[in-house]
Amino acid sequence: MATATASSASIRERQTVALKRMLNFNVPHVKNSTGEPVWKVLIYDRFGQDIISPLLSVKELRDMGITLHLLLHSDRDPIPDVPAVYFVMPTEENIDRMCQDLRNQLYESYYLNFISAISRSKLEDIANAALAASAVTQVAKVFDQYLNFITLEDDMFVLCNQNKELVSYRAINRPDITDTEMETVMDTIVDSLFCFFVTLGAVPIIRCSRGTAAEMVAVKLDKKLRENLRDARNSLFTGDTLGAGQFSFQRPLLVLVDRNIDLATPLHHTWTYQALVHDVLDFHLNRVNLEETSGVENSPAGARPKRKNKKSYDLTPVDKFWQKHKGSPFPEVAESVQQELESYRAQEDEVKRLKSIMGLEGEDEGAISMLSDNTAKLTSAVSSLPELLEKKRLIDLHTNVATAVLEHIKARKLDVYFEYEEKIMSKTTLDKSLLDIISDPDAGTPEDKMRLFLIYYISTQQAPSEADLEQYKKALTDAGCNLNPLQYIKQWKAFTKMASAPASYGSTTTKSMGLLSRVMNTGSQFVMEGVKNLVLKQQNLPVTRILDNLMEMKSNPETDDYRYFDPKMLRGNDSSVPRNKNPFQEAIVFVVGGGNYIEYQNLVDYIKGKQGKHILYGCSELFNATQFIKQVKYTFVVCFC
Amino acid sequence: MAVDITLLFRASVKTVKTRNKALGVAVGGGVDGSRDELFRRSPRPKGDFSSRAREVISHIGKLRDFLLEHRKDYINAYSHTMSDYGRMTDSERDQIDQDAQIFMRTCSEAIQQLRTEAHKEIHSQQVKEHRTAVLDFIEDYLKRVCKLYSEQRAIRVKRVVDKKRLSKLEPEPNTKTRESTSSEKVSPSPSKDSEENPATEEHPEKILAEAQPELGTWGDGKGEDELSPEEIQMFEQENQRLIGEMNSLFDEVRQIEGRVVEISRLQEIFTEKVLQQEAEIDSIHQLVVGATENIKEGNEDIREAIKNNAGFRVWILFFLVMCSFSLLFLDWYDS
Repeated sequence: MATATASSASIRERQTVALKRMLNFNVPHVKNSTGEPVWKVLIYDRFGQDIISPLLSVKELRDMGITLHLLLHSDRDPIPDVPAVYFVMPTEENIDRMCQDLRNQLYESYYLNFISAISRSKLEDIANAALAASAVTQVAKVFDQYLNFITLEDDMFVLCNQNKELVSYRAINRPDITDTEMETVMDTIVDSLFCFFVTLGAVPIIRCSRGTAAEMVAVKLDKKLRENLRDARNSLFTGDTLGAGQFSFQRPLLVLVDRNIDLATPLHHTWTYQALVHDVLDFHLNRVNLEETSGVENSPAGARPKRKNKKSYDLTPVDKFWQKHKGSPFPEVAESVQQELESYRAQEDEVKRLKSIMGLEGEDEGAISMLSDNTAKLTSAVSSLPELLEKKRLIDLHTNVATAVLEHIKARKLDVYFEYEEKIMSKTTLDKSLLDIISDPDAGTPEDKMRLFLIYYISTQQAPSEADLEQYKKALTDAGCNLNPLQYIKQWKAFTKMASAPASYGSTTTKSMGLLSRVMNTGSQFVMEGVKNLVLKQQNLPVTRILDNLMEMKSNPETDDYRYFDPKMLRGNDSSVPRNKNPFQEAIVFVVGGGNYIEYQNLVDYIKGKQGKHILYGCSELFNATQFIKQVKYTFVVCFC
Repeated sequence: MAVDITLLFRASVKTVKTRNKALGVAVGGGVDGSRDELFRRSPRPKGDFSSRAREVISHIGKLRDFLLEHRKDYINAYSHTMSDYGRMTDSERDQIDQDAQIFMRTCSEAIQQLRTEAHKEIHSQQVKEHRTAVLDFIEDYLKRVCKLYSEQRAIRVKRVVDKKRLSKLEPEPNTKTRESTSSEKVSPSPSKDSEENPATEEHPEKILAEAQPELGTWGDGKGEDELSPEEIQMFEQENQRLIGEMNSLFDEVRQIEGRVVEISRLQEIFTEKVLQQEAEIDSIHQLVVGATENIKEGNEDIREAIKNNAGFRVWILFFLVMCSFSLLFLDWYDS
């Protein structure tokens, strides 16, 4: 781990390694095929559950020797002679419950791991309870794990899932927020970011825009990192996980942005697979929940309503199809599923053919020589059966998910919205008027129309005239939308206009291949008639542009007055002049106030073109457009001119 | 990067202790505490389950050490270099095989026994789950160790087969040498016990054993009588024919050996899969039985409901009739 390229190991691997080490009683984990089994019980709270579930499956937990995994606040029976590994947040209730466990002598020995650092007083509470229960020797080890963040992808992380409301966009941008509340929110964010950097093992250079929530986070984070570095004895950033090469060359860049620079992207309709799944279906922590309606039944009046099967699927890094196609446009995904299905069927036929050959074998005695390669073929077929089954399962999974997404697309005409929004955001001429789309009754839910209109409102240079606005408003209310979000956006726009010019979205073109593609697509299983085969052209969202400027040290009026923090420098100075003139190799983009998969995909695409550079994307919470609008609906300003 | 604060914890324990002493709170600490702990530990159900589980694990560990120790000698020295060190005779190898198999059998029996007993007295769901998982781990461990053993065994079998194949490269001039080598092999063959893989070896051994008396009688026959030149020639032709036959037989037998080894391997895989399926089918069976029970109960419930409905109606009717009669009565009474 102490090589110069260690900083480019993915955050997911690091967190997984840290978790596995914790599960192995904090001794580095070594795979030994003839090792004796050791068994243990894992106890976590909801935070711990959210952190562990995207990274380790139940089977992997079993491989590590975990026989039972239980929630901290559930009823647990005493299991003698078993060491218990706790992975919890150091909150009051958790500490109380742990003390209760100590008193009830539930397990033989206790290995306590706290997700973020525990305070001295709480540690003394535990000590007190352990003394009272005479269980001090049973508490074998106590650790601060510094893992207070959730990693979803190799290069994407989210702060938390359980107390989302605390750090949501609404919480930060509420007009009636008090200072103390703001402090708590900032502290939570900074704590998680600090844990993130401890796990990453690097001290970043921080840049942020002025006058936003991001700046507050940056100041606090800088202070915390500085304090920790000062304390040379206990510093978390020295030790064997850092090589010498980490210091000067490979320091990553942390770009803190606030959600308010770009409110159009969360509302945008999207066309890539992962972002679509997040937008349209119930998808969080890498798990999709689908509702399948069972077939139409003749239900007599008064009988129970049609039962819907709920199915949930995990989309994990093991799933190769997902890894390959999560950023591809949807029609590509449909075609690939078809291809996979056909290759799977070919392999299945191969195996079946072998079976029939073997069946004929018994009658023909002179065919002993043929028998030899057939047994070899059979052996290889049998050993490849598990792979085939796995492939089939994945194909089924993706077929179901893609079908569900396709149904939504067709019902709401999402392709039309996508195309139109792209055109709006790139300021090309619009062929259909906005009013037409809004008043079109069968194109999408009222929410879709609201989103479209908000994007239009955000991206026009000058506000539409009063009469136009009234017309739009009337059309929107006819379609059934609530107009509250519009209020908020108006205020936001006024505010940002005072601060700086609104961001422009770069140029893009979309080609809609009409008739020919439709003919081609009718052959495929997914009947995509009417769904245009839109091709995405590379465009840079505002966040990507800011990152590009900062990483490549380009000079741009937008980013020139960003503040610069370097926790390693002795004097904290406020200069905006970056000391380091070289372009950065590693960057971490963190959006305070919420992020989404569209930005993530955009960053991934941007960095694909550059060799040897890595980007990590993080946000305080992950929401899709529906959730964002819900939050914005209730963010009112009592009096704002 | 985790930070070990165990020392900090112990330090806080000390501070709390001193603080409690200073405040005069009587909390079990110091010598009393440790004694209390000892006391508290003994009446706790130490669980002979876990101690027995650990015993089984230590047994398996011994088996593993034993196998690993002799592994080098086992595999090594198949060459006929007469080095003293590390040359195992076949009988020693057989002994090891036998011992290992007995060991494995006893271990798996012990695991089965533990499994049946584990679920007897315990009522808690979590403890049951925990014990099942522990037993799964132990079985897995046993399987891994058995794999060591079967790998060794497979290498040994393969070598024997290859050696036989090599020894038949020059059939005609080597008949005498073949006799000698086959006589070597006939002797260890009866001493091998029949488990899965040696079954394949028995078959060719038997053939060799049968072939040998033939050669023996033929060899004896040749040396005893005085033969005329025609007879000699005839005998020579017969010899050729017999040799040809024997060769083809041996070839076929060799091939069959190899195939049977492969087939047995495949059989193993199949039985594994079938056993897995059996478990699944059992669970499906349970579910179906449960479902039929539920349906029966459902039917009963429906029947009762219908009855109640009917009964209810009767009562309503009765009540209405009584009301009307009472009205008539009142009316008659009043007038």
